[in-house]
Amino acid sequence: MPLNINLQQILLHWMNLAILTGGLYFLLYKPVKDFMDKRAAHYQELEDQAADKLAQAEQLKADCQAKLDAADEEIHQERLQAQQAAAQAAQEQLAQAEEQAQRIVAKAQAEAEQSKERALRESQREMRELAARAAKKLAAKPGADFFDQFLDLTEGGRTHEGR
Amino acid sequence: MKQRNKGLAICLTAAVLLLIAALLAGSPGPSESVQEAMRDAVLHGTGQISLFGLMSVNPGMISALLVTAFLLLCAALIRVFAIPRFQYRPRKLQLALEELVGLFDGMAKSNSPHRNRFLGAYLFAAGSYIFVGTLSELLGLQAVTIHGHPITLPAPLSDVNAAIAMGTLSYLVILSGGIVSNGLGGVGRTLKEFSLPISMSFRLFGALLSGLLVTELVYYYVALSFVLPVVVGVLFTLLHALIQTYVLTMLTALYYGEVSEPSPKKEKKKKLQAENA
Repeated sequence: MPLNINLQQILLHWMNLAILTGGLYFLLYKPVKDFMDKRAAHYQELEDQAADKLAQAEQLKADCQAKLDAADEEIHQERLQAQQAAAQAAQEQLAQAEEQAQRIVAKAQAEAEQSKERALRESQREMRELAARAAKKLAAKPGADFFDQFLDLTEGGRTHEGR
Repeated sequence: MKQRNKGLAICLTAAVLLLIAALLAGSPGPSESVQEAMRDAVLHGTGQISLFGLMSVNPGMISALLVTAFLLLCAALIRVFAIPRFQYRPRKLQLALEELVGLFDGMAKSNSPHRNRFLGAYLFAAGSYIFVGTLSELLGLQAVTIHGHPITLPAPLSDVNAAIAMGTLSYLVILSGGIVSNGLGGVGRTLKEFSLPISMSFRLFGALLSGLLVTELVYYYVALSFVLPVVVGVLFTLLHALIQTYVLTMLTALYYGEVSEPSPKKEKKKKLQAENA
């Protein structure tokens, strides 16, 4: 054949190449590729685990944040309640104080009223006694002007006209 | 710095002395003309070697078997001694192996995303074979022809039979990908590229043969055998080993991906089934 092409040798080369391909596949290519795949799977697993842990950490963070938010809300509510309670207590105390003050004022007014009435009654009584005594003395001194005598008596024995 | 300069001076002096000695000694005279030497390099008409006494084969066949044996031996040693000690944090050898496997695996996945398991394995084997086979000519292994003449074993793929075998096998791999993925449609798609095995075979053969011929030409003349082989023999061989490995594996991966791509009808059916499900 031209160029010394030989079918028998081509077939021998095919056989040689087939043996080489099979041999290299089983001896070198497959084991190295398997190892590379195994390592890739290992690192993929590590990456997945890291991603899982990251997700868990994110979840934990979100939970903690939710708890913190809830605690903040609770504190806010408690503070509001405390403020309301304090305001209510202050209001009650203020009302009590006002009521007490009103009572005290009323009592004082009543006592003042009573004192006034008592003083008035006392003065009236004294007036009556004085009047009674003056009348008695007038009745005992004949000839004198009753009105002048009365005035003298009330002024402590000094003569009315001498002033 | 002084020591380095001293070493350089010694090397240069030795080189000059060797050049003078080679020129003075001369050569016993070519046993064959340059035309005959180059024709033998292509056709191997007189340079046949006995294969275990069973048949006469081209020197490329022996090179191919030696390369295969070498690769399988290395693979077995690595499998026994290195792979069981692999760690998640790779060392130098492990890193190199992983890079190598990852390179062909990545090439298969990127060019044929739908079906690439077998393709990756084939590309790995073909790439290793082409690269190591091409570099093997640097060793200059000697063999004896059936006529009793010594011969330097060439790169396996500089033999047209090896190149045809590699090209047609790659085409069959592409065809198998088409059949497995798309049945008869895949066969049709692959057969559309009927020129592919020829172009792949002869591209490899031409590239490797040109290197061989240039090397033969250089070594044929004593005057050219000095310094020039460092560039021609080593650097060019390294370069075209890399290039040919890349070209064949990339082409195979590309066509495999093209023919194994699911047809639009199948994809529509799959989409409809997924929507119904």
